[in-house]
Amino acid sequence: LHLVSFLTALQNTPLAVAIQSGDWLFPGIETVHVMALAIVYGSIVVVDLRLLGFAGRSRRVSEVAAECLPYTWTAFVVAAIAGSALFISKAERYFGNTQFEFKFLCIALAGINMLVFHRGIYRRVLEWDYTRPPPLSARLAGGISLGLWTAVVFLGRWVGFTV
Amino acid sequence: MMVVHWAKLLAHSRLSTALQAHSWLVPLSQSVHIVCLSILFVSVLMLSLRLMGVGRRRRSIAEAVGSLLPWIYRALMALAVTGVLQTLIEPMRQFVAPLFWTKMLLIACVLALTLAFGRLAQRSASRWDTGQVTPVVRLYAILSIALWLGIIFCGRFIAYTYALYL
Repeated sequence: LHLVSFLTALQNTPLAVAIQSGDWLFPGIETVHVMALAIVYGSIVVVDLRLLGFAGRSRRVSEVAAECLPYTWTAFVVAAIAGSALFISKAERYFGNTQFEFKFLCIALAGINMLVFHRGIYRRVLEWDYTRPPPLSARLAGGISLGLWTAVVFLGRWVGFTV
Repeated sequence: MMVVHWAKLLAHSRLSTALQAHSWLVPLSQSVHIVCLSILFVSVLMLSLRLMGVGRRRRSIAEAVGSLLPWIYRALMALAVTGVLQTLIEPMRQFVAPLFWTKMLLIACVLALTLAFGRLAQRSASRWDTGQVTPVVRLYAILSIALWLGIIFCGRFIAYTYALYL
């Protein structure tokens, strides 16, 4: 009950009201969200494909990761801010949406996967930077990441049809 | 209007009506479209920033062109397939929207620029690493980012504006 009243209060804030009632604010923020998510997802795919050994094999894993990570994080911050702005405009409806819930479950799982990878085998990346194929746990982390983030994109698009 | 006539003709074609029967096809195609757009956009961004010398120069321009340009072409092909599919299913939504035609024009521009850049890079990419990158190359780098941002903008806004013209 507290949560519901919180969500209601959230979508009644002046900013939320402005986003939901303006003609072009919501699509405008959504466009920024799409631009940012394209960079987040695209840069993650580059790293994942390298971890899987499908692409960029001529470059070290650590080099590919170092090049892509700044893109990922910068764009993630933008996508999260734009996404939050979209969320508050219809907080109750998004919160009760199944696809929206699964989307955030996938993001959380992808975060855990990344954490396990970075605390685990990535610490010794210099030992397998060029190994072909990359070690199984690295390929696994790349595959899981690719699957989860692809699910995030699909679910995100699906939210637009169901919310 | 001529375009409305074409759109209706296409919408009533056997192929279009057969595809329209599957309501999951549009969301699925749009999702694949976004996946491909992401691969394309990040490749364009990485290539352009490398050409402009922004960020750390971890690899030569020749290497960056050689690995990123093929991904740009692959993504473009997949974007064309999913885009055509969506237009086949909902021709009216696309054809009446001025932003759809704006998008097509911008795509034609960026396509021509990219193909021209590819030809130029084939001949002189190795020289860009040893000497100065020519102003034309910098211009391509900036234009391709700007055009793709415009294309994404049009793509998203078609959904919000087409109803105004129906």
